Amino acid sequence: MTSPLISLQDLKKRYQLGDNTVHALRGATLDIMPGEFVAITGPSGSGKSTLMHILGCLDRPTEGRYLLGGQDVSNLSRDQLADIRNRQIGFVFQGFNLLPRTTALENVEVPLLYSRPLMPAPERRAKALAALTSMGLADRADHHPSQLSGGQQQRVAIARALVNEPSLILADEPTGNLDTRTSIEVMRTLQELREKRSITIVLITHEPDIAAYGTRVISVRDGLIRSDTPNQPRSATDEQIALEPIADVA
Amino acid sequence: MPAAHDVRLAASALLRNRVQTSLALLGVMVGVGALVTSIALGRGAQASIHDQLLAAGANTIVVTAGNYQVERPPNNEETVGHGTAAAAVLRPSGPDVVVSLDRLDAGFAGGRFIRSHYEDDPMAVHDHPTAKERLGDTMAGLGAAATLTLEDATAIRDELPGVQFVSSGVHENARIAVDIVGGRSWLTRLHGTEADLPSIRRGWTFPHGRFLKAAEVQGSEQVMVLGRVVADRLFGEGVDPVGRVVKLWNQPFKIVGVVGSRTWTSQPVAGDDQFDAVYVPVTAVHKLLNLSKLNTITVTTKSAGETTQIAKQIAVLLRKRHGISESMSDDFTVKSQAQQALGKGLPPDLARIVSANMGSVDQLTVEQLSASLQKTNGTLLALLAGVAAVSLLVGGIGVMNLLLLSVMQRTREIGLRMALGARAADISRQFVLEGVVLAAVGGVFGALLGALAADLLNRWLGWAALVAPLSVVLALIVALLLGVASALYPARRAAQLDPIRALTHE
Ligand SMILES: Nc1ncnc2c1ncn2[C@@H]1O[C@H](COP(=O)(O)OP(=O)(O)OP(=O)(O)O)[C@@H](O)[C@H]1O
Ligand SMILES: [Mg+2]
Repeated sequence: MTSPLISLQDLKKRYQLGDNTVHALRGATLDIMPGEFVAITGPSGSGKSTLMHILGCLDRPTEGRYLLGGQDVSNLSRDQLADIRNRQIGFVFQGFNLLPRTTALENVEVPLLYSRPLMPAPERRAKALAALTSMGLADRADHHPSQLSGGQQQRVAIARALVNEPSLILADEPTGNLDTRTSIEVMRTLQELREKRSITIVLITHEPDIAAYGTRVISVRDGLIRSDTPNQPRSATDEQIALEPIADVA
Repeated sequence: MPAAHDVRLAASALLRNRVQTSLALLGVMVGVGALVTSIALGRGAQASIHDQLLAAGANTIVVTAGNYQVERPPNNEETVGHGTAAAAVLRPSGPDVVVSLDRLDAGFAGGRFIRSHYEDDPMAVHDHPTAKERLGDTMAGLGAAATLTLEDATAIRDELPGVQFVSSGVHENARIAVDIVGGRSWLTRLHGTEADLPSIRRGWTFPHGRFLKAAEVQGSEQVMVLGRVVADRLFGEGVDPVGRVVKLWNQPFKIVGVVGSRTWTSQPVAGDDQFDAVYVPVTAVHKLLNLSKLNTITVTTKSAGETTQIAKQIAVLLRKRHGISESMSDDFTVKSQAQQALGKGLPPDLARIVSANMGSVDQLTVEQLSASLQKTNGTLLALLAGVAAVSLLVGGIGVMNLLLLSVMQRTREIGLRMALGARAADISRQFVLEGVVLAAVGGVFGALLGALAADLLNRWLGWAALVAPLSVVLALIVALLLGVASALYPARRAAQLDPIRALTHE
């Protein structure tokens, strides 16, 4: 039996706001196996983003343990967490978070700039271009974000998340800024990553439609895990094919 | 993070806020420029002080025949060498060879017959502008003692290693006449001298012609160099008299040059000893007047610091040559010109500063004079350095302000870079580099600006300025340090941002 990629043990996160203590996470226990596509849902303020930040090693839990690939990362230093983010985690944000005035290729290259040991420039270029190509954006390498559509921008962001070959991709509302058609396109891309490269994906959404693409759906409420169920995922590929005629009519 | 990428990133980040970057750049430029200019002015002042010190004769020793101090009565201290009163007091102690002063008797000058030397008659009214000063001259009365010879001069030149130039001299008052329409003549100071004199009087220039040549001195030729004042009076202002012939003691002398001053410490005026004067070969004077003695031997030392010591060596040498025993006093006077440099060589302001810094003017040595000038210069330098430091501080604040703005504008970018794996050091290096790029650009242009300013001050205001390559290098290093120092705080702020807050920053 394989060991879990992510293992949370009674994870708690509190924020101190003056005299008030906000319990963002009240005790989450959770294992995620490699190759799972986990959709985390829940109403606004339920603690989804807080969980995501801890999973992404951007924040540390107040209490509890977080094992990533068997390593306890709950109490690492800022720089150690930075290295883990760089090597093992790819982020996809709702707002894409691409650097403006910078080409698609250079945006994808950014994580490689912080890799240790540092790769030679031509190698970095080649890797970034390969990641862009896998997202079908080779011909857009020299475009700036403002010259790309929302879907293209999000695919550049996914290429950037992939460039360092992480074991985990964290996506916080990746379709939040996209229309339905483009959302399905992005979901198909994520499904393909899981199927073809067996990358583990954790996706946060408050849309049940989007959560339905995952192999497992976790629902969070008031900082606690309320339900955790396996799911027969919808196939984004099938839906896209179904959408084509509509696109032709329109 | 790779360096080339870093620099490019810093440059593009700086270009984002063009106006603020330009202002910060201007601040750095002014600071660095002020530094370069102030160093240039400081060094210029130093070089100029050294130059003036030497031009004023700080390394000059004058040996005068006779020793007037020996027989000065103790009750007569306030009488300092004037006319007949002085002559009675200042009795030369050397062998009593009296130089005849009546040789002007036969002189026919300016159509007027001169019966006697004008200084011979104590009742005479001297309308010559130099007469009064002339009588106060330390030389007056001393030259009468004929104890120095050309051989003494040669001995000083050959036997004392620290000696640089030696020029022997006979000094007289003489009327120089020129045969132009109406006739014109000028009563002035006559120096019989040698070819080395311009090397001793460093502040000389020759607007026309040249100084006496060694061959002319050797051959007792009747050639003459006019002081600027004499040339102007005899031939009119600015007229080139080279090649013309004047009469001295009714003998023709061919003019070979005109001597003027190149320093601000002494400008030619009527009555001064250098430019209201004429110069002829000492040998020609000896031959025409049938003399063999000298009034003075003027010596310069190789280093201004050795003057006092060499003055002593000269005294020892001359005592030996003159066969003066232990108990007897010198038959000559050795005087280094530091005191004179203080009194008349330097401009009044500088002299006042110098004397304010001196314990006692009497004990003044060249070393002390030099040290005092350096101290004054040091104060000036400190002041300039203060101005530069304030400018640099202001420049640094400008850089810091720009970088803080940059950190604020790019908070989201910083958060993103952190999420993608940038360590704290990666983030802070990015901002330090921004400061360094800014400072480097500002430093290069500032150094150019400073050098230009120094040059313009030099050209327009005549301030001494010396831009050394080393000071430019220093300025660039200071600029880079300034860039780093100003960037440290903004860089630290950027590096300590919380990644989540930075990422969600609006
Ligand atoms: N930095 C913080 N300081 C104080 N309280 C915080 C902070 N971050 C989150 N919280 C609080 O923690 C709780 C969980 O917030 P979180 O952002 O995880 O919710 P969410 O599920 O992501 O909501 P949404 O769907 O609106 O994004 C909320 O009550 C929020 O106000
Ligand atoms: Mg959220």
